[in-house]
Amino acid sequence: MSTESTNERTSKPNAEAKAMQSDVPEQYRKNATPERGKAIIELSGVTKTFFRGKEPLTVLDGLSLSIEEGGFEALMGPSGSGKSTLLNLIAGLDRPTSGKAIIAGNDIGAMSDGELAKFRARHIGFIFQSYNLMPVLTARENVELPLLLTKLSSTERRKRAETALRVTGLENRMDHYPRQLSGGQEQRVAIARAIVHDPTILVCDEPTGDLDRKSADDILELLTKLNVDFKKTILMVTHDPAAADRATITRHLNKGRLE
Amino acid sequence: MIQLFLIAARNLKRSWFRTTFTVAGCAVALLAFVMLRTVLSAWNVGAEHAAQDRLGTRHKVTFIMPLPKRYIDDVRQVPGVKQATFANWFGAKIPTQPDEFFANFAVESKTYFDVYDEMIVSPEDKARWLADKKGAIVGHVLAKKMGWKIGDKVVLEGTIYPGDWEFNIDGIYKASKKSMDDSQLVFHWDYLNDALTGEQKDMIGWVSSRVTDTSRSGEISREIDRIFDERDTQTVTMSERAMNVSFMAGFSALLTALEVVSVIILGIMLLVLGNTIAMGVRERTKEYAVLRAIGFEPWHVRFFVIAEAATLGIVSGVVGVGIAYPFVNNMVGRAIEENMGGMFPYFRVEPNTALLAVAIAIALAAFASLIPSIQAGRVSVTDALRRVG
Ligand SMILES: Nc1ncnc2c1ncn2[C@@H]1O[C@H](COP(=O)(O)OP(=O)(O)OP(=O)(O)O)[C@@H](O)[C@H]1O
Ligand SMILES: [Mg+2]
Repeated sequence: MSTESTNERTSKPNAEAKAMQSDVPEQYRKNATPERGKAIIELSGVTKTFFRGKEPLTVLDGLSLSIEEGGFEALMGPSGSGKSTLLNLIAGLDRPTSGKAIIAGNDIGAMSDGELAKFRARHIGFIFQSYNLMPVLTARENVELPLLLTKLSSTERRKRAETALRVTGLENRMDHYPRQLSGGQEQRVAIARAIVHDPTILVCDEPTGDLDRKSADDILELLTKLNVDFKKTILMVTHDPAAADRATITRHLNKGRLE
Repeated sequence: MIQLFLIAARNLKRSWFRTTFTVAGCAVALLAFVMLRTVLSAWNVGAEHAAQDRLGTRHKVTFIMPLPKRYIDDVRQVPGVKQATFANWFGAKIPTQPDEFFANFAVESKTYFDVYDEMIVSPEDKARWLADKKGAIVGHVLAKKMGWKIGDKVVLEGTIYPGDWEFNIDGIYKASKKSMDDSQLVFHWDYLNDALTGEQKDMIGWVSSRVTDTSRSGEISREIDRIFDERDTQTVTMSERAMNVSFMAGFSALLTALEVVSVIILGIMLLVLGNTIAMGVRERTKEYAVLRAIGFEPWHVRFFVIAEAATLGIVSGVVGVGIAYPFVNNMVGRAIEENMGGMFPYFRVEPNTALLAVAIAIALAAFASLIPSIQAGRVSVTDALRRVG
């Protein structure tokens, strides 16, 4: 039922990527060798039904999907088709009404709220359309936020946040507050925050939706780098065909089904 | 944890205007609270610091009516009485400033400062006074207020004892206890008595005595009154402490009202804080959702809200007390001690009151944030994130 459209990879050939390995900071080498072909996201017969009062609304309807480790996939579809809902399930923010969702080896439907929170802290990096940075915190402090849940020392946290900001090209903006940054820069801070704890999967809900073409391309370039060099599995919801072109696979969601 | 607290505290910088107004509102409320508490504690100073070993003996009907002078000798005979002295309420005023009230007594020169040993007079002043028939000793607060110095001549206009009375300021005393009024004027009883004739002569206002054993002061009081039971003029004897307590009992309704008002003030403060905190939480719903998405748990979010509120409480408390301290101690308190020294000889913020006020501000803020924090912890992450783009 699902058709996958494969695009030309816009990244460097494999050999060159290997040579880049030494540029990848120590803290991101965990997933250095993703198992190609091994599914890290596996949904089978997933249904999600919301209730508006007594009125049931089936947003996802028996959806099955498998995404392999190290993949970069785009998810497109009309507004209201359930893209964000699907993303939330994969990110462990919500549980399926029925069906099975196994993400990085965890059965999302069977986990408690507390377990889901720990799952997110460990495996998921979020990138939102509207950046969602804390306005009272500097770029560095925003990026450090996920590390407050770890046992790392404050110097180590700081070091890692700075590394993440360097990866996203913001080494000169570390002490700036969000309001002192452009939209593209804010999104880079958000991406640094999403990768600082070295998650397995990056979920992006219209990451370029609020950006102009140039900034959007820069962000997409950065995501590609994270996928190719840092071996992050990326799932990106987008309305922008140019953005979808960056992904290896683009899937289309319509009325709760992949087509 | 500490990081989370510090981040939460910084949220207060977000809406400077609101934070400033909340802090100002709470500070004013705390100022009112501290003042009321100070009135209450100043009121109690009299009872708490009143000498328990000092007995007052007065006319059974009312303290306005005098006793025969020879009663002092009878009191001195009672076993357990260490020292005794007597005094008359003089009630004179300064002719040019008839509205200035200060206590003035005619006292027995030899013994008065032994019985009232919390009035500290230097030996030179005292010697000068004892040698000067028209001598007077005044409290340092009164002296300062009136600009009197040692050697000055002062004329007072009598009310109970009509006429102009001339005094020489021979000494200045300073109270060593908070319960002693620093605005009194005392002079020789002989100076008064020598000028009197007829019924007024050889009469004293009251007798004050010190007992050797405080625990027996009730017993000794009854013993003194028994002596005079069979005489024309009967007496009532009470320890100073008992007298103050019974005096204050007459004001108990007023004191209760003040207590109630101070609680109401705290209630208003709670509402002000609750409003500010609830507004902040509503605005930051999405941020809490983002924190949750990142992996923070509901209790982190609750802690976050309470931490922000507690910081607001600390700031309000410190600012409020910071204003109240100088305001009460240097302005209001001075004025009250100078003008109402008889009732409030010591009107200052007690350190305990200040600590209590800060603690209350923090506790109220934390309490006001309880419900908002629970709500923030319950926020549905997906709903909150969907609400905006
Ligand atoms: N918590 C919820 N309660 C009720 N209905 C919901 C809830 N979440 C989503 N929906 C509904 O499910 C449908 C799909 O929503 P979703 O946000 O997944 O769409 P989307 O594909 O992301 O759309 P867009 O491109 O506009 O972001 C919508 O009709 C939405 O109103
Ligand atoms: Mg959406």
